[in-house]
Amino acid sequence: MRHGVASALLTAFLVFPTPTATAQGPAPARPIDGKPNLQGIWQVLTTASWDIQDHQARLGVPAGQGIVDGNDIPYLPAALAKKRANFENRGTADPETKGYLPGVPRIMYMPFPFQILQTPDEIVMVFEYDRGVRNIYTNGTAHPRGPLNWWMGDSRGRWDGNTLVVDVVYFTDQTWFDRAGNFHSDALHLVERYTPAGPDHINYEVTVEDPNVFSRPWTMRTVFYRRKEPNIRLLEYDPGRLMDEAQR
Amino acid sequence: MRQSALVFAFAVLAASGQLGAQDAAKPKTVGGCPAAPAAFHTCALEKAKTFTPPRTPTGKPDFQGYWRGQLAQAFSVEGVSGNEPLVGSRVMPWEIAPPMIVDPPDGKIPYQSWAIPIGRIGENHNKYIDPRTACGPAGVPRLALQDANQILQPAGDQYVLWLFEDHHVQRVIAMDRRPRLGDAIKVTNGDSRGRWEGNTLIIDVNNFNGYNWFDDSGNFYTDSAHIVERLTMIDSDTIHYEVRVEDPKVYTRPWTLVWALVREKEAGFELLEEACREGQRDLDRLRELGFKFYFGDPWRGR
Repeated sequence: MRHGVASALLTAFLVFPTPTATAQGPAPARPIDGKPNLQGIWQVLTTASWDIQDHQARLGVPAGQGIVDGNDIPYLPAALAKKRANFENRGTADPETKGYLPGVPRIMYMPFPFQILQTPDEIVMVFEYDRGVRNIYTNGTAHPRGPLNWWMGDSRGRWDGNTLVVDVVYFTDQTWFDRAGNFHSDALHLVERYTPAGPDHINYEVTVEDPNVFSRPWTMRTVFYRRKEPNIRLLEYDPGRLMDEAQR
Repeated sequence: MRQSALVFAFAVLAASGQLGAQDAAKPKTVGGCPAAPAAFHTCALEKAKTFTPPRTPTGKPDFQGYWRGQLAQAFSVEGVSGNEPLVGSRVMPWEIAPPMIVDPPDGKIPYQSWAIPIGRIGENHNKYIDPRTACGPAGVPRLALQDANQILQPAGDQYVLWLFEDHHVQRVIAMDRRPRLGDAIKVTNGDSRGRWEGNTLIIDVNNFNGYNWFDDSGNFYTDSAHIVERLTMIDSDTIHYEVRVEDPKVYTRPWTLVWALVREKEAGFELLEEACREGQRDLDRLRELGFKFYFGDPWRGR
């Protein structure tokens, strides 16, 4: 077997002659099937998890500049009232307090690492938070026939130059955008754009469309930073089981 | 209490199709080998010697695709005998089945004596909510006998990704010979580190929190478990799946489970989202009936 191991190592070395191909952590940024290589462990540094709009500090909440273009979310009048009620009741009404899957795009900017793994036909995002997983098919398939209501939606991707464009539909009306009560209906439609900006950054842009809640589409932008600690790996944060364990 | 938490979980399980593994028509052979774990094991090891698996572009055995457990059942890894009262249950009858344990030869988990009344339809089964019913991840190796799963070998060969439809569990298996996690970090599905040995994918798993069962019977391991999985293709659509379990806290010796993973060939097949906690309606009722959440209490402190 020793020979097998040696030849496997040799193969790895020949295929990836860069020093980063060793056990140092991030995958080499060598293109995959001619497309940008998004693999690695990523995390945001924004405070959007608390509030996607500008907000000053509150006890336990860091101040932060929002990630919404123009800082304005175009709620329809009734929806704006509901957003305000959500904010007042957020201690119990926020689905995060129940240990549910947080949905998209919320899971993208929670303060936990996530990992992107890539094959020519499919990009998979796995999240430390709640074992979340997104299967983003890049094999040219369309969304399945609905209606479907999934907590993480159905994601189909395509490449537009160096940008991965992901169309996401089939949500529930049970997830929020943040801890400040920003919400959507099950008619939510997202178009996400992932554009590498150097080896260790991905620019993330998501356009939100939901005619039941908003008067027009609106956009958020943030940055994913590569986690560069040599020993970085996803651990586990299972909110539901931790809640159960605390009250067993 | 003998009817257990499973009775009430039945509706949920049936509705979500998680009984599929038991409902599926049972073939007479699997991968050209006899359709019983022990005979399959012997035959499959022989077949693996001559089968050359497909390769990825970088020359690794190509395990990619969708798979389902076969020769496995969810009731008990020790098998189910005709004497088992649950076979006659009117709510959720168990099915008679051979053990999935190939070593020791008697097909029984080599428990230390204190642990027998906890596992094997004992205290765990009778007093605790099956951690999977409570929407926890089924754990290693129970995951691989539930529903469909998918293996991906992402570019760069640093990881093998094993995705499970069951409660959206994912295993990121590190192939880069990194050191294991520190002892203070426990993970429900363990810390998985893989390597290739010939045509076999070997996965070494440590750092369990011990919150998992093997089966519906409450057979269990603890936070000192060490599991080694071996996946070997015996033909292009069949994987011999062997699981060696070691846990000095609870067994007298290591022991080995075997079943098959068979390729799911339905055109256009994809894993679907199976949210669990978000839709479950049983846990409050089970707790009213006195069942407790399982976080390893029966073995903790031993």
